[in-house]
Amino acid sequence: MKNSWIIARRELMERIKSRSFLFMAFFGPIVVLGITYSIFKLGGKEQQKWNVLIADKGQLFDNKIASREDPSITYSFINDYVEIEDFASNPKFKDFDALVEINHKIISNKAALLFYKEKPSFNMSVNIRYQVERRLEEIVATEQYKLSLRDFRSIKQPLTIGFRNVYDPYNTAVDLAGWVGLFFGAFIFLFIFLFGMTILRAVMREKSSRIVEILLATVSPKALLIGKIIGIGLSALVQLVIWLLVVSLGLYFFRQTIFIDFSDPSMLTAAMPSDYNQFVELVFDRINFVPMISVFAVFFVLGYLFYGAFFASLGAVSGSESDGQQFLIPLIALLLFALYSGYFVLMNPESSLAVVFHYLPFTSPVVVMVKFAMGYPPGSAYQLYLSAIILFVSAFLVLSLAGRLYKNGLLQYGHAVRLSTILRWLKRN
Amino acid sequence: MLLLQQVTKRFDRKMAVDEVSFTLDQGEIVGLLGPNGAGKTTLIRMINQIIHPDKGTIRFKGEIMTQEHLKHVGYLPEERGLYKNMTVEAHALFLGALRGMSKKEALKALDFWFEKFDCLDWRNKRIETLSKGMAQKVQFICSVLHDPDLLILDEPFSGFDPLNVELIQAELIAMKKRGKTILISTHNMKSVEEICDRVALIHQSKKIVEGKVAVLQEERKTGLFGLKFSGSMIGFVNALWTGFELVDKEELGDNRFLVKVRLRGDNTFEDFLKISLKEVKIEAAWEILPSMQDIFIQEVTHTTHQNETTHEK
Repeated sequence: MKNSWIIARRELMERIKSRSFLFMAFFGPIVVLGITYSIFKLGGKEQQKWNVLIADKGQLFDNKIASREDPSITYSFINDYVEIEDFASNPKFKDFDALVEINHKIISNKAALLFYKEKPSFNMSVNIRYQVERRLEEIVATEQYKLSLRDFRSIKQPLTIGFRNVYDPYNTAVDLAGWVGLFFGAFIFLFIFLFGMTILRAVMREKSSRIVEILLATVSPKALLIGKIIGIGLSALVQLVIWLLVVSLGLYFFRQTIFIDFSDPSMLTAAMPSDYNQFVELVFDRINFVPMISVFAVFFVLGYLFYGAFFASLGAVSGSESDGQQFLIPLIALLLFALYSGYFVLMNPESSLAVVFHYLPFTSPVVVMVKFAMGYPPGSAYQLYLSAIILFVSAFLVLSLAGRLYKNGLLQYGHAVRLSTILRWLKRN
Repeated sequence: MLLLQQVTKRFDRKMAVDEVSFTLDQGEIVGLLGPNGAGKTTLIRMINQIIHPDKGTIRFKGEIMTQEHLKHVGYLPEERGLYKNMTVEAHALFLGALRGMSKKEALKALDFWFEKFDCLDWRNKRIETLSKGMAQKVQFICSVLHDPDLLILDEPFSGFDPLNVELIQAELIAMKKRGKTILISTHNMKSVEEICDRVALIHQSKKIVEGKVAVLQEERKTGLFGLKFSGSMIGFVNALWTGFELVDKEELGDNRFLVKVRLRGDNTFEDFLKISLKEVKIEAAWEILPSMQDIFIQEVTHTTHQNETTHEK
């Protein structure tokens, strides 16, 4: 064990001092923050500014639209018909982005059309629809039915029957939380991939530089394997801690400065369906980061050990550096499949396949994160522990098999890897 | 110090080492010889516990050898490498730690060897900036840093210039004088003659010859004597008459010759010197012993031939 530690320490120091490590520690969190920022930002403030012309021959709108002004949309009124062709080509309409046609039949058929020149963004269309519909409601209610707007709206409100999970009657576990789980799971696999590749390269380099023979004369192959995986794993943890620190600092900064007003109820768009509000709220208020990060840490470590053993074995059995590539493809496919399984579970949380994925060591790190973020039903938290135990045992088994491959493969150079050779090495102890 | 008893290793269908036994006593340098693919590296790897024999035992200081004993063993493999992006010192400390040395001990030993090999300024150089010869010196230092009782060297002289071969040889002899035991696997027969006390010759996975270098040479001597002289060749040949047979002659120019002569009848080396002295001016005279190279080739071809004929039968 002492020797494993010496090996691990050397690996750790080598990684931490390397330029790529520093590069990743610096740019990784910035990329994550950038993505988060753009999700917040693009889902939120409207970048487009539109001039909308309302052709209202009957002056139904009375040249009014909303009580409050929307900075991104300017409405103009024309009390006449406008032909579409005219609107499209006449230079006098060139400043307008869209035309809303209101005719007198609208009171009875309750339908109007908007003609656009360029397709509006989702948010823009939501905003215009909302504002025009509200104004129409106002007209219909007061003009036709002589109702107060309040009564009209209370009548208009649909009767709905909601479907709720009996274990989660308040529906706190929204799908979005599951997305955050998937995000964490994807994070685990990103790190497994990056540092798995580091293991692979480190083992191959040791083989090709022949240092491995000197090492094997002092440590057992198993101690070498464990030392290597632990050393690189520790460097991954250091990297991860840096990421977590920088990202949480960044999020805190976002909250304090840029996205401070998002939950302000006086916002014009507050009543409207909008992605970013949920997302920002989710990140800042809904996720319980402490248990999330604890589960993340456990499955990160176990998942890394499990997959790390595969990468190390691959390095050990490869005859040359290019040789490992062909066997790398199935391994990457496996990682991608695991990511997909997370998405699958997010979409079909109750399916029987989801249960399989939840316990399968190849997929459990990401699936558990999704499930955990969505929330386990009360009384079934044991599922989490069971999955962790299965992953732990599998990691242990894979590590001991990897030890055999390591022992038999490390001193072989320049051969072509065949599955039959690998199986023979696995059998030979 | 080291005792191998009927050590056998087989890789799938191929026999790599077949019932090889030999001993290494404390304070001797033993050469492990054999053509490529004879099984030397496998044997060395078994001593180093990198692979384990299918049959037979390896004892170190009387005990069955285990990983624990490797702290007292130094190993310089033939296929050797270093971590390219580490500094010389960090590398040496790392390998020292794996051999159970504390940082303080390793630094002290490193000082000693750096001074000895006159490379004090390499300490903080990265391995990748070293020349091949420099890297080999570092590898040698790393293998002796923990002052091992048994040093195993696989082709230690390959890649060294003659000056450094001298240096390493001198160091090995000094270590031997301090009671260290050294096993050298090499194709460099000149070094074998110069520093090895004994040799073991492995061929086709079996040990075919073992013994002291002097004894092996003595056993295989051909009864030939060499003489370098200046004077008349005709006179010399006449003087040989029937008592001696001229086997080979070479003209060195300027009336100087080198001859090989076999004694006939009861004639001795002294008799040969006496008759020669009368005719020519002797520059040098010696008994021709087979070189280790000759013994190696002779034994290997002999065994191969023998095996082939048994095979044919």
